Amino acid sequence: MNASISAEADLADVDSVLAGDVRAFEGIVRRWQGPLVNMAWRYCRDRGRAEEMAQEAFIRAWRGLSHWRRESSFSTWLFALAANVYRSELKRFPTETLPLDAAPEPGGAATQQRTLETQRQNEALRRAVLALPLRYREPVVLYYFQEMDLAAAAHTMGLPEGTMKARLSRARALLRQRFPHLEGEFAQVECFALKTGKEVTN
Amino acid sequence: MKPPKTVRTHEASGGVSRRAMIESQIERILATEEELIPTSGFLISVMERVQEESAVPHPIPFPWKRALPSAFLFGGVSGWGAVELMQSGLLKLDLAALNAFTLAVLHPSAAPVSSAESAGWVALALSASVLSLLLSRRLAGSGGLL
Repeated sequence: MNASISAEADLADVDSVLAGDVRAFEGIVRRWQGPLVNMAWRYCRDRGRAEEMAQEAFIRAWRGLSHWRRESSFSTWLFALAANVYRSELKRFPTETLPLDAAPEPGGAATQQRTLETQRQNEALRRAVLALPLRYREPVVLYYFQEMDLAAAAHTMGLPEGTMKARLSRARALLRQRFPHLEGEFAQVECFALKTGKEVTN
Repeated sequence: MKPPKTVRTHEASGGVSRRAMIESQIERILATEEELIPTSGFLISVMERVQEESAVPHPIPFPWKRALPSAFLFGGVSGWGAVELMQSGLLKLDLAALNAFTLAVLHPSAAPVSSAESAGWVALALSASVLSLLLSRRLAGSGGLL
């Protein structure tokens, strides 16, 4: 989605809602339902709960729309609000997670099962993020989510960039300690990239 | 859709540390998660809740500007009353310290003074009640409740 078009549409819808047109909020929900549900999913990894949390975030946004001071973009305000909602929801009802040490590490992949094993390994790593302490988990969730760069993620959390960077680094170190054999997978990906001449991106 | 977050890659032949390789791999995995698509009823359920919220009338804000003078008046009267009570209490203590003979002498002459003081208190209490009634009627009337 074109960011400037979205920003203009957001602004128009917010103005309409504040002028009393309730249905204009639908445009906001339509544009941001995907990002907010995905963001919630990364916080809890439970689809049903992710939608409930995202719905709560939209309701809070609806109630607090007049408090958006327009100093930052609407998306920045919305993500910060959603992060607050998700954080407090998870404090009230924490997700059931294994301790980081108990997060399963898949064994070496057989050739015929490589895709499946890689998927399992990736999912294990993503679930292991939930086992990180909240102060490290949230920077990982936000930084690797949507189009957020370090500055945007730090702004969403209300932290200085340096602190955010340090927490990200610590989180990666914790995950690295838990998954010491990812190097092999990495080498395979690199070999594939070198053979095909492609850069590894997502 | 989100633009892909480019993950820095390292040349396999380079002297990249094992640690950096693992962290790059972690970055790649975390940055490449598939996106969930919200269920079809999500938008409808959010809008239903928004409609419900909008149908509920906004709570009437407390009229602080109008209530403040009354609050100050009430505070002042209460404070003054408290001071008066303390003073009369102290007077009673002082009187208790005197002997029974002095009390017997004082009592007959103090009776008319005491009844005059009581009448003053009663009048003050009645005025405060009338004043608060008038103020509350005025507040309620301007709020459209009367």
